[in-house]
Amino acid sequence: MAYHTPVYLLLFLPAVLLAYQITPQKKRWLLLLGASWIFFWSVSGKLLIFLIGTILFTHYIGLGLETLKSRCRLEAGKPENDRKQIQALFKKRQRLVLAAGIFGLLAVLGYLKYYNFFAQNVNLLLEKAGRPALLTAKNLVLPLGISFYTLRAVGYMADVYWERTSAFVHPGKLALCLSFFPQLMEGPISSYSQTAGDLWKGSPIRSENLAAGAWRILWGLFKKVLIADRLNVLVKAVFDQYESYGGVVVAAAAVAYTVQLYMEFSGAMDMIIGSGRMFGVSLPENFRQPFAAGSAAEFWRRWHITLGTWLKTYVFYPVSTSRIVKKWNRFGKNHAGKYVTKLGVTAICLFPVWLLNGLWHGPRWSYIFYGMYYFTILLCGEALAPVRERILKKWNISEQTVWWAVPRRLKTWVIIVVGELFFRANGLKAGLHMFVSIFTDFRPEKLWDSTLLNLGLDSGDYLVILLGCAVVGIVGVVKEHNLWKEENTKRFCAPIRWAACYGLLLAVIIFGAYGIGYQQVDLIYAGF
Amino acid sequence: MRDFKQTLKKVGGAALFLAILALLLGVLSRGVTDLVTKNDDLVPTRNKSTVKIRQEAGQTIDVLIVGDSLSYSSFSPMQLWNSHGMAAFVGGQSGQTIQESYYMMKTAFQKQSPKVVVLETNVIFRAKEGLDGIGESIRTCAGYYFPVFAYHDVWKSLVTGKRWTAEDYKGFQFRNTVTPYMGGSYMTVSRESRKISPVVKVYLEKIIKLCEKKDAKLILVSIPSPSNYSLATHKALQAYAKNQGIPYTDLNLFLKELKIDWQKDSLDGGDHLNLSGAGKVTSWLGNYLKKTFSLPDHRGEERYAAWENMAKKYEKRAKEILENM
Repeated sequence: MAYHTPVYLLLFLPAVLLAYQITPQKKRWLLLLGASWIFFWSVSGKLLIFLIGTILFTHYIGLGLETLKSRCRLEAGKPENDRKQIQALFKKRQRLVLAAGIFGLLAVLGYLKYYNFFAQNVNLLLEKAGRPALLTAKNLVLPLGISFYTLRAVGYMADVYWERTSAFVHPGKLALCLSFFPQLMEGPISSYSQTAGDLWKGSPIRSENLAAGAWRILWGLFKKVLIADRLNVLVKAVFDQYESYGGVVVAAAAVAYTVQLYMEFSGAMDMIIGSGRMFGVSLPENFRQPFAAGSAAEFWRRWHITLGTWLKTYVFYPVSTSRIVKKWNRFGKNHAGKYVTKLGVTAICLFPVWLLNGLWHGPRWSYIFYGMYYFTILLCGEALAPVRERILKKWNISEQTVWWAVPRRLKTWVIIVVGELFFRANGLKAGLHMFVSIFTDFRPEKLWDSTLLNLGLDSGDYLVILLGCAVVGIVGVVKEHNLWKEENTKRFCAPIRWAACYGLLLAVIIFGAYGIGYQQVDLIYAGF
Repeated sequence: MRDFKQTLKKVGGAALFLAILALLLGVLSRGVTDLVTKNDDLVPTRNKSTVKIRQEAGQTIDVLIVGDSLSYSSFSPMQLWNSHGMAAFVGGQSGQTIQESYYMMKTAFQKQSPKVVVLETNVIFRAKEGLDGIGESIRTCAGYYFPVFAYHDVWKSLVTGKRWTAEDYKGFQFRNTVTPYMGGSYMTVSRESRKISPVVKVYLEKIIKLCEKKDAKLILVSIPSPSNYSLATHKALQAYAKNQGIPYTDLNLFLKELKIDWQKDSLDGGDHLNLSGAGKVTSWLGNYLKKTFSLPDHRGEERYAAWENMAKKYEKRAKEILENM
């Protein structure tokens, strides 16, 4: 029951909205929790036990941390005790409980998601050493959204540990935060402070929220059904038969996949955020015009924002204040100089972030490569920053100047597209083959002979893709420059608003890539 | 009171919005249906039968056949016409689902009053389960009431000039290649009975009720096909048909009587029949319908003049193809 399917949009969501509205306010959290578990069960069946297990485990770890904090305060307050010693002792205990909690959650995720990958690689190593295989592959099924709700659960534990939030005494509140159905499949990976209040409040459904939510869902459908699903035909044709293509066709497919992924993931986010909005729940944004980024670092502040924020909060910051960084700082200052020390710190902090970013997407070397690719690029960016600044200063160039900003943006696009090529390729070997083939078999005439028309899309499809991208692009420019705010919509009279809505809806119905000749495409990030 | 008025206003606004949407979809559907009915080459091959049935003159079809590709590969209306003067039409589609079979019948019943409806049973085992089944039901239902959903891609044919031409004889398509089936006997002893999914049962009941309402006799037929049928499917279908009181014939049990020769009659190694096999199955159907139902012989009737012309063309083409197979 993905968010773009008729079952979700025409049956499940309206039924839950109706039931929510007629349920007394105090019991609405219970209804949302029930609906969320039905949603989960409809996709993953009995694996619901993993979600419930995660909720209970996280709840008790949170309570454990809270109890330790209270006891610490109590003990530290006693005059006969050494306050600092007590605090250190309880901090150690809290750290142990937190570590146990994180280990428990990651162990389940690691086993279900990465065991076969691990076994396969161990066996490969043993085979190379001339030894028999040690581990057998297992038929493991992943519960829906485990990668998303596990990160949220780890975030909750860490937040309780850092006293950013108090542990919920009522398990229902945590259960709802971890299970809220619009967030189950693809995130966003929100923190508790972002959603708990709205979810628990059970505010009545308001017509403004309903209209804004429906509009957002429609916009998401436009991106997914009109553009992403249409591009999927071309992307699948080239990436699945990559050995038959090269040069400009592979480059075009890589660009097409980049656009497909953006339209699909951001479209799904629109549907998710729109669904949440209908219940009066504000979910955090996951995209902010990523192709307007001037650098790879900026791109990641605009693309899958909540994953980036999570990694920054729960990996980057803890590593940057860790002993290893302190030790390196000390060593670097004495032996390596300021520049190398700073670069070393950046490398130490960024490496786990990007390794985890790659691994989080799935158990494939190409994903690890994808993470390391961005690690290398960001590190190079950091290493070259003084050179860039010197050039800007020496030639008195403003970063906003067109002839500086445009090539910079183009460079960022190339970095993004190459990254997505490896991300989508059927394995690292295939990715490398495709990447090399761009340069060894570059035949630009393939762009205007009939090659692109033999990849499952006809000229009508390309026209819709171009027009659709143009519409999304214009909306992106308007958003980027803050030219339009949601409140402005109210200025228009109902007929104009309705006409816009009908226009968008009919565009989806008439130009949508569904029916004969198109495959129903599952949500890409739901597979992670 | 003020709150109530405001709520009423909001509900009224929502209702008006939906009513206008329905009207827009209705108008668009009407326009698209008229367009494709005038020129069915605008529609991809799979959906052609849904258009072609609309093109038939009203009250001319006596036998309606529905099903997946097995139906339009095996039952030839023109052969029925030439042999018995029966007016039959195959509303088959490749990979047709039971939901599509139901709405195909509803479409046909809009202008026709067939006396017999033949359901080729492979659709019964082509079920999408659970939520996928519900999704399929929504899709086909929307496509029936608002055909703009079913023919939404017609703009592409208009913009690109692409046309979907196909040689079609009242829904039947010539299949002229031979790939023998080498697998031997396939209706062997089986204790198991294949399950019929709940979604399929719901739609079968709808089909039964629709036929009853329209005074049409429903019969179930399984085409010889080693790839799709077995004794397990036979048992399931026989039990279901017996329970519902519907005539059911499994032609997979009568291969000798039909004189099916798997070296000559198979299109693709046991999945579909080719023209040679279709001739044998259609011959059986013609005799069965003649024996069981008193269907009129329309040959010589003025309003069936087009059928006469098509039948002549068909006979000539079929002869050529059979000679070259």
